[in-house]
Amino acid sequence: MKGTDALGEAAIRAGCRCYFGYPITPQNEVPEYMSRRMQEVGGVFLQGESEIASINMVLGAAASGMRAMTSSSSPGISLKQEGLSFLAALELPAVIVNINRGGPGLGNIAPSQGDYYQATRGGGHGDYRMPVYAPAYVQELYDITMKSFDVADLYRTPVMILGDGMMGQIVEPIYLHERPDVEIPPKDYILDGAENRPSRIIKSLILDPVEMEEHNWKLKRKYDLMAHELPEWEEFMTNDAKLTIIAYGTAARIAKGAVKRARSEGLKVGLLRPITLWPFPEEAIRNLAKKTKLFLVFEMSTGQMIDDVRLAVEGKVPCEFYGRPGGVVPIPQEIARIIERYWLQKEL
Amino acid sequence: MDKFSVFSSRLVEKSENFTSGHRACQGCAEALAVRHVMKALGRDTIVAMSTGCMEIISSPLPLTSWRVPWIHNAFENSAAVISGCESGMKAMMRKGKIPAKKINFVAMGGDGATADIGMGALSGALERGHNMVYICYDNEAYMNTGIQRSSSTPYGASTTTSPAGKASIGQRTQKKNMAQIAVAHNIPYVATACSSFPFDLMEKVKRAAETPGAAYVHVLSVCPTGWRIPTQDAIKYGRLAVDSCVFPLYEVIEGKYRLTYKPYKKIPLTEYLKGQGRFRHLTDKEIQLIQQKVDKDYERILRLSEEEE
Repeated sequence: MKGTDALGEAAIRAGCRCYFGYPITPQNEVPEYMSRRMQEVGGVFLQGESEIASINMVLGAAASGMRAMTSSSSPGISLKQEGLSFLAALELPAVIVNINRGGPGLGNIAPSQGDYYQATRGGGHGDYRMPVYAPAYVQELYDITMKSFDVADLYRTPVMILGDGMMGQIVEPIYLHERPDVEIPPKDYILDGAENRPSRIIKSLILDPVEMEEHNWKLKRKYDLMAHELPEWEEFMTNDAKLTIIAYGTAARIAKGAVKRARSEGLKVGLLRPITLWPFPEEAIRNLAKKTKLFLVFEMSTGQMIDDVRLAVEGKVPCEFYGRPGGVVPIPQEIARIIERYWLQKEL
Repeated sequence: MDKFSVFSSRLVEKSENFTSGHRACQGCAEALAVRHVMKALGRDTIVAMSTGCMEIISSPLPLTSWRVPWIHNAFENSAAVISGCESGMKAMMRKGKIPAKKINFVAMGGDGATADIGMGALSGALERGHNMVYICYDNEAYMNTGIQRSSSTPYGASTTTSPAGKASIGQRTQKKNMAQIAVAHNIPYVATACSSFPFDLMEKVKRAAETPGAAYVHVLSVCPTGWRIPTQDAIKYGRLAVDSCVFPLYEVIEGKYRLTYKPYKKIPLTEYLKGQGRFRHLTDKEIQLIQQKVDKDYERILRLSEEEE
């Protein structure tokens, strides 16, 4: 199944009945799939008149208790930031898909990872955080999409799925399972008519600084809980690795190939792949820092995740970086060459 | 024909400001429209262009088809950017930093950039009355991203996000009438044009550029790829759209309507719809309904223009 189709199917099976989109390459296959499938399951597919309209339609649908999602690509996500900040402030659940492309500005439509900062550092204004998932396989994309609706509902937060054009276009065999049973707390905040009960108000304007501070600390406690419970990662041949590559998404797929190559030449190389970009799997990296001699961060950008890796490593192990920004997708041989170079240079 | 300043292809400006070699699809009538528009405008022109087909095909770095100053900006902003250009140039001329001369400030966008995402910026620019021309190339869907519906897509058309099938007729809403929205801003000049009528198009663009204040020109641009028609028939379908009165050609000068092309004989709508892949699922009954709507709209424009005479 194609990545974008798997994404759409997972959302529908997770109970998403509202999809709001807007055309932007390379995510057009998502709205196309949704426009067809939503008709069949009796949901709503709506193409907004702008990105801002789409994200705010998601906000409205979430406020009325529906599972809603939207998808876009980098320039579109920039427009959606206001909505994301509001979703976080109002504590409304929603799923946002960012099919990352080359930037800044209009950039190009090739796979890139330049939106790491924007995704993990908030992007929108204010003191907020948002879980970010970066799947690398179509099956994982399917599972994570399904799961992110539950995460969104459990923590009442927007959740972002960060992929790229390659992730969307790849065709892989997958197992289409139904949604696992997850206990979702009753939605006691939704706006659904106030006959015989006091009306509910959803708002983020809190003029009193003391009250606002309280709200911020309340959100912070939620983010701490997420930081504790949500981190996910995959380790590949890290047990005896002297050099560990850290990469996510498409870059991790390439790095995996490079690791296999290096291993066939007898180099002890491993791969750590963060699945959640926020919360960042710091614990896993800290544990690895005790074993490995060198971290090599590989990204399809000029170096963004490297900051988080350095913070987690706390200078205990040297961290090197290799990046290909602008939509260039290197082949595993290229990464394998970089591995060999560092192997010789650092005399591992 | 009496009101045209140019009525022979011999007399049309020879120089090309939008050159060949761009990457438009075969039979693209929108690229043709841009070419005619640029011939009409001349070299003293600054163009701000929204993201869209025309931007993508004409400016893949390091190549460009533009022989005039040209700036690309995000999807929703061309009207705002040209407002800034116009204001900046005005200030420079006032201070004497550059010699004062007549420069055409032109913003261009597709129907998605105009009727959907850029509507707010356009409305603001028209309301402020900058000395600019906004040209909308309407190919009736988001063709650049792969034929998604826009609010300018006509009722009944099948696109990738308004697919026709058992449960749906395709596009369920009526086409947004951008020219009428521009008229409602009380700007000095509004016109509709089509690249199948090049003299009419060039004349209108010239008049729009000469008009002090904001002007709006809506150009119907046939898209063989998105409309699912043979590539050699783009001009034909543009003529059919006008002759069947689906897209009447008129201009509104200071609120006064004038029909610039009255079809000699109004042809039935089926002539226009048949052959277009995006309409092939329509039944006779549905076409009848669309015909009624077309008749009503055309009669309104006809009445308005006759009142003026």
